[in-house]
Amino acid sequence: MYRRWLWPGFALPGVIWLIVLFLVPFYTVLAVALGTVDPILFQAVPIWNPLEWNVGWLNEVVHRLGPGGNLTDVALRTLEYVAIAVGLSLLIGYPVAYYIARLAGRTKALLLILVIAPLWINYLMRMLAWVNLLAPDGYVNRFLTYTHILSEPRDWLGGRPSTVILALVYGYIPFFILPLFAALDRIDQSHLEAARDLGASRFRTFLHVTLPLSKLGILGGAVLIALPMFGDYYTPNIVSGAAQTTMIGNQIDFYFHGGPQPTIGAAITIVLAAFLTLLMGYYLWTIHRSTGQERTT
Amino acid sequence: MTRHAKERYGGLNRRDFLLRSAVAASALSGAGGLLAACSSSTTAEEQTTPVGSTGAGEPELLGPGGLPLARPDKRVELPLWEDPIESGLEPETGGTFTVYNYPDYLYKKLLKEFGKEYGVKVQYTPFDNIASGIQRLASGAVQPDVMEMTPDNLDLAVAGQLIKPINLDYVPNLAKNIWPELVSPFYDVGSHYTVPYTCYATGIAWRNDKVSEDIAAMPQPWDIFWQAEAYKGKTALLSEERETIGMALLRKDHLDINTEDPALVDQAVADLKELYDICNIKIGDLQYQTIPEGTAWLNQAWSGDMIAAYIYYLPEGTPATVLSYWKAEKGKVPVQNDCFSICTTTKKPVLAHHFLNYMLDNGVSYENFVDFNGYQPPLNEIDPSTLVTDGVVPENLANCVLTNDDFGPDSSQYMTLTQNGQKLWQDGYSDFLAGGS
Repeated sequence: MYRRWLWPGFALPGVIWLIVLFLVPFYTVLAVALGTVDPILFQAVPIWNPLEWNVGWLNEVVHRLGPGGNLTDVALRTLEYVAIAVGLSLLIGYPVAYYIARLAGRTKALLLILVIAPLWINYLMRMLAWVNLLAPDGYVNRFLTYTHILSEPRDWLGGRPSTVILALVYGYIPFFILPLFAALDRIDQSHLEAARDLGASRFRTFLHVTLPLSKLGILGGAVLIALPMFGDYYTPNIVSGAAQTTMIGNQIDFYFHGGPQPTIGAAITIVLAAFLTLLMGYYLWTIHRSTGQERTT
Repeated sequence: MTRHAKERYGGLNRRDFLLRSAVAASALSGAGGLLAACSSSTTAEEQTTPVGSTGAGEPELLGPGGLPLARPDKRVELPLWEDPIESGLEPETGGTFTVYNYPDYLYKKLLKEFGKEYGVKVQYTPFDNIASGIQRLASGAVQPDVMEMTPDNLDLAVAGQLIKPINLDYVPNLAKNIWPELVSPFYDVGSHYTVPYTCYATGIAWRNDKVSEDIAAMPQPWDIFWQAEAYKGKTALLSEERETIGMALLRKDHLDINTEDPALVDQAVADLKELYDICNIKIGDLQYQTIPEGTAWLNQAWSGDMIAAYIYYLPEGTPATVLSYWKAEKGKVPVQNDCFSICTTTKKPVLAHHFLNYMLDNGVSYENFVDFNGYQPPLNEIDPSTLVTDGVVPENLANCVLTNDDFGPDSSQYMTLTQNGQKLWQDGYSDFLAGGS
């Protein structure tokens, strides 16, 4: 009996953590989104009983996010920014993770520390630092004009989508590299040697062995950075400030920041969470399938 | 068990208050008489303009808790939900005294001096904006002694019993030092809940070395934002739904900036959305910094921003003459004043009264203005011409200084809307904020 519960017992802190810090807050947001508003103080009044839930706010948000709704464009823009940022993170992060995992040798630990190092500094601080670097007379423009890459300083902070996307990439890429590194590092060297022994070129070995075996790392990294990117609102605020570069997180922030409709903010959060659950579901399904395949082989 | 802040004190509870306010509201709308719990001292002469956009004969617009909505031409005396403290009490000493305000909106040196004088440690707790500040207060997340208040949020704070009535016996500086229009202002006749703190107008700030147009000479200066193709990425509006949509209304000469007419608000939002393509409009409240630094060239701005810009943010070597400010004439320019109120959560109500009086002291208030804040207090003592001759304000920014005459029944001020009105403006701003395709 004791042995039966010993090992599952180790999961208890994690389960408690999950309940207290994820399920309870999530249910609270759900109860707010499907709740009402105090008519005087405009505070959200959550409804805890699902039988009494009020779906009006959620319907309104779904309608506004749907075709022709006034939030459709900002939702699509968010999707576009996150997709490009994840794609760029893959292009930049994969070679870095590959190098550290497969080629760095003794410098592996040092390089890993360097990848993680930016995380020691607060995200907002790092973004604010970029505001100085990207200013019209900042170091980035000075370098680019000095090297004649640009003939005149570019207004990076003038409300450009590219600046927001690059800032997202910069802010989150360490979280992409780390799981990818772990996946690449775990690949058994003998698999690669077998491919080479069978006549595959380096490129074909990479394409047919390394890449498939690192798929879970790519997916894990992508999920890890895409989830917070979808809810991000401070990055566009700091490096752009233009209405045309706001993301869906800005709408959530706006509705939660006062006014008579905090429930709209909660309802947008729920719709966003439902969408992200689909992404997460695909990731979990992929892991499940992969684990199943490993067991059968 | 600790009770919620708004249940902690005697007098009317919120349910009673709501009930009485509702009764009062129905009495007001039906007979136009005095409210039972919520007396309105509106006179027939002052009610020349209907509240909001309602036409004559339409029902009175009511705000939170059924309170009648004040307008510059419609004075409202708010009900006392409990009696003020008695006169002649000694201020509490020891412990912490918490001031709840916008970040960096009060000179900490003055707070220290106040704490030293009364033997308390003064803590400054900031909030992001007044709406979220009130939400935090209502949730019990903070328990300040005094807080910054704005007239357009006053109804909500009173109806929610978040602030306490003031005994003016403790605040003699109000009648002695403050502009007559704000001693007993239209939104709080009798100053039952607020004393004024700072005042400002909303206009346009620009760098005249970057912007070639003579904005002040334009037939409609607000049009500059719709002609700002040359200033793409350098043009911004305030990050405030009332100010932004209100500006678009004023541009089209709709002077009722508290309108709840969906057609007008929708049109204003549609006009604002034109700015995406014209100048890639930015949104933010850092104009006091970005304009003097030259990272923004053209900005909707509060008058105090440019004074603060001159005092603090103008880089060395940049002359003050590059800064320009325009505001419209009275009745067309939104003017505002911030206030201080005593929070229901205070454990030091007498000291809180002393704090209000302290902040209205001529010396303290003036020092806060010229040495730190940049936002002008409504002091009788302040003479705009003296501020210029003394070098506090440069001559080109003299129009940033307000006077008592800028306020009054024919002035324009953003005030509380009905709940539906607030939804209308909030959704409109959300639409603008979404940024289009």
